[in-house]
Amino acid sequence: MMRSESLYPDYDVLALQDEWDAHTRQIVGKRLGPFQFKLLTPEQQDLIKAVARQLAYEHREEVLTWIAAHVDEQLLSPLGEAQRRPGVPPQKELILSGIEALNSWAKEKFFKGFQSIRQEQQLEFLQLLEVGGLPQDHGWTVEKQKELFKKLTGLVISAHYSHPWVWSDIGYGGPAYPRGYVRVELGLTDPWEPKQVPGS
Amino acid sequence: MAERISVQHNCDHYNAERYPHLNKRKFGNQEVDAVIVGLGAAGGVLLYELAQAGLDVVGIEAGPFWDPQADFASDELHAQSLAWNDTRLSTGNDALEFGANNSGRGVGGGTVHFTGVFYRFHESDFRVRTLDGAGEDWPIDYADLAPYYSKIEQEIKVSGPKEFPWGAFHGPYPYPERSPISGNAEIFRRGCAELGIRSTVAPLAIPSAPFDGRPPCINRGFCNQGCMPNAKFSTLIHHVPKAIAQGAEVLTDCMVTRILVDKQGRVTGVEFNHDGKYYEQKAQVVIVAAFAVETPRLLLNSACSQFPDGLANSSGLVGKYLMTHSGHDVYARFDQEIRLYKGTPVLAVSQDFYETDLSRGFVRGYSLHAHGSRPLGMAVKAATNAGIWGQKLREIMLHWNYYARITLVGEVLPDIQNCVTLSEEKDEYGLPRAQVHFSYGANDQKLIAHGIDKCKEILAAAGGRDPFVVPDSAHLMGGCRMGKDPQNSVVNEFCRSHDIPNLYICDASVFVTSGAANPTETVMALAARTAGRIIREGKK
Ligand SMILES: Cc1cc2nc3c(=O)[nH]c(=O)nc-3n(C[C@H](O)[C@H](O)[C@H](O)COP(=O)(O)OP(=O)(O)OC[C@H]3O[C@@H](n4cnc5c(N)ncnc54)[C@H](O)[C@@H]3O)c2cc1C
Ligand code: SF4
Repeated sequence: MMRSESLYPDYDVLALQDEWDAHTRQIVGKRLGPFQFKLLTPEQQDLIKAVARQLAYEHREEVLTWIAAHVDEQLLSPLGEAQRRPGVPPQKELILSGIEALNSWAKEKFFKGFQSIRQEQQLEFLQLLEVGGLPQDHGWTVEKQKELFKKLTGLVISAHYSHPWVWSDIGYGGPAYPRGYVRVELGLTDPWEPKQVPGS
Repeated sequence: MAERISVQHNCDHYNAERYPHLNKRKFGNQEVDAVIVGLGAAGGVLLYELAQAGLDVVGIEAGPFWDPQADFASDELHAQSLAWNDTRLSTGNDALEFGANNSGRGVGGGTVHFTGVFYRFHESDFRVRTLDGAGEDWPIDYADLAPYYSKIEQEIKVSGPKEFPWGAFHGPYPYPERSPISGNAEIFRRGCAELGIRSTVAPLAIPSAPFDGRPPCINRGFCNQGCMPNAKFSTLIHHVPKAIAQGAEVLTDCMVTRILVDKQGRVTGVEFNHDGKYYEQKAQVVIVAAFAVETPRLLLNSACSQFPDGLANSSGLVGKYLMTHSGHDVYARFDQEIRLYKGTPVLAVSQDFYETDLSRGFVRGYSLHAHGSRPLGMAVKAATNAGIWGQKLREIMLHWNYYARITLVGEVLPDIQNCVTLSEEKDEYGLPRAQVHFSYGANDQKLIAHGIDKCKEILAAAGGRDPFVVPDSAHLMGGCRMGKDPQNSVVNEFCRSHDIPNLYICDASVFVTSGAANPTETVMALAARTAGRIIREGKK
């Protein structure tokens, strides 16, 4: 379904993986699953997937599951979160309480959980969250809502554009190590690079 | 710290020895001539210079001794874990992002992930107060650094154009310029030519031919993810191994938690933590080279009864005047494929807008770079910084091979309100986390608006349409600025602290102004100059 939107429908970056170094191949390969969730409950996974469906405009279940798995891993990572606004809880707490809050806001307004409301309604919720326009109850200040949107979006979009299927969609050459590129000039491509199918 | 990284690294390195523990330290209980905190751009140069001069020197680095083949990958997501990700509290109208955006961790520091654009500052950068009535003058001139710029360029074989039209240095560079250049760089140069703007191939710390047993660049574009083939310079692959060969000891995965001070108010060494245990290294001279946030944080966290406000802080300026570069990205769509992913990210530049031109309504200026990208970097910043997500982002990304990009490197004037302080929150060592406040000033904002318009004009002149802007920033400088007056600065022109004669602070934190050029060549030139001074002092 999504492939038909691609300008490079015949291109599969994974077909090139024998040319990649072993470390990169292993890292990218894990994104195809299977996944073991260590933190998120099935319900939380579904909430993340519902949010990711809107943020990334992605509908393939496999890709959405990888995104949820990435969030799961990041929330347990011992590395820091680089930066945080004072007064905003640490990333794990922010995201977990945040998806819960999205769910209850949806229930208040539509008597259904976030996953079950219509796509346009989900989209509207996220648009409001981005500018801090959802109800400010339970300490959800404008700033905290905006931070939730930013952190969620960062995690979801990072994972999305790290999935090899998405690389294929957009015509990205991928890791390309050790072989690199020989023809970098405008208009030139190496023989193995994605080529546009005329008329697509 | 071992649980933070998946690969187990050795932590003690000297002569031909590598140990996964600290039981066999070369200088364990000895007082060495110098200890260096942080082995990034500045720390690497200092370690090498001091070791080469025969000093007993130990470099202590919070992160690992990276092995490019085992630790790096050609992957943006993986590379995020190589940055300094420790949480910092970030405030202000333009709160800064840290992590991979500007902060390196592990041997090599930021040079592991840097793009390799290698500039000298201009003469005017050192005299901003005199020339423009803004900011402050440096205690040194361009001429003081010129010999060190040349030395560093020679040492790592910077590749650049035969003629560089801006600033005081016009080439030639030790190695010839890179050829061919990427599609994105060609588009940029085409747009510039159309408008009568001068552009050149970028001066790069990436040799254009084999050098020192390292291969030339293979144009895969992953400079910000760590260069796997070792084509790009970093102190990880250049200065630090050479320093070890000259007798230096390097301790890694060792976080310096405190600088030690005696009753007379001189520093005596440092305390550091490895894998949960505390150790000390005594030294006659302590050099802090931990970058623009961690350096002030360590000085403030080392407060003691002799120096209750933190070390070297009698001026109250430790942590103050922190600067970044405005780094806005401007994209436009073309009718032909550009393929932003190909080639070294920055292969063409212009500094035609670098110097003050009052007719523009602001002082100082900016550099412009044709700047490649990979999918994650482009999509995430568009979503989080420009509000482009959902269907719109997907539509852009499906056509991303048709986009070209120009990035601004805009000067930011120093402002005392922009600063690093200690927060109430503690990290895993029980030390207060850094809190960083940043807002652009009015001059900065006018400069950004001008720069963005210029990028749009260039892209349009080359045939681009539907431009969009993604606000961003790059590089950190300041926080322990140098100066002549101890009341108005933290270190002197040789990076020695005004307050404590055997404490040096030498990294990007000593910058007085930000310039409009990527900072690392200036960081390294300052380090080489400081090393020369320490060696001369030692010989007296
Ligand atoms: C993505 C990116 C692209 C860049 N591109 C360019 C470019 O093209 N050109 C350019 O000129 N510059 C570029 N830079 C900037 C460049 O990386 C920095 O200017 C430079 O690394 C600063 O040098 P430094 O020595 O001050 O600090 P760093 O190189 O950051 O080194 C500081 C070191 O100190 C260590 N440290 C910190 N605290 C402690 C502690 N308490 N104990 C022990 N160790 C500690 C850190 O782990 C780090 O290794 C880029 C940076 C990034 C992140
Ligand atoms: S583009 Fe060149 S220098 Fe940069 S990472 Fe790739 S091989 Fe290394």
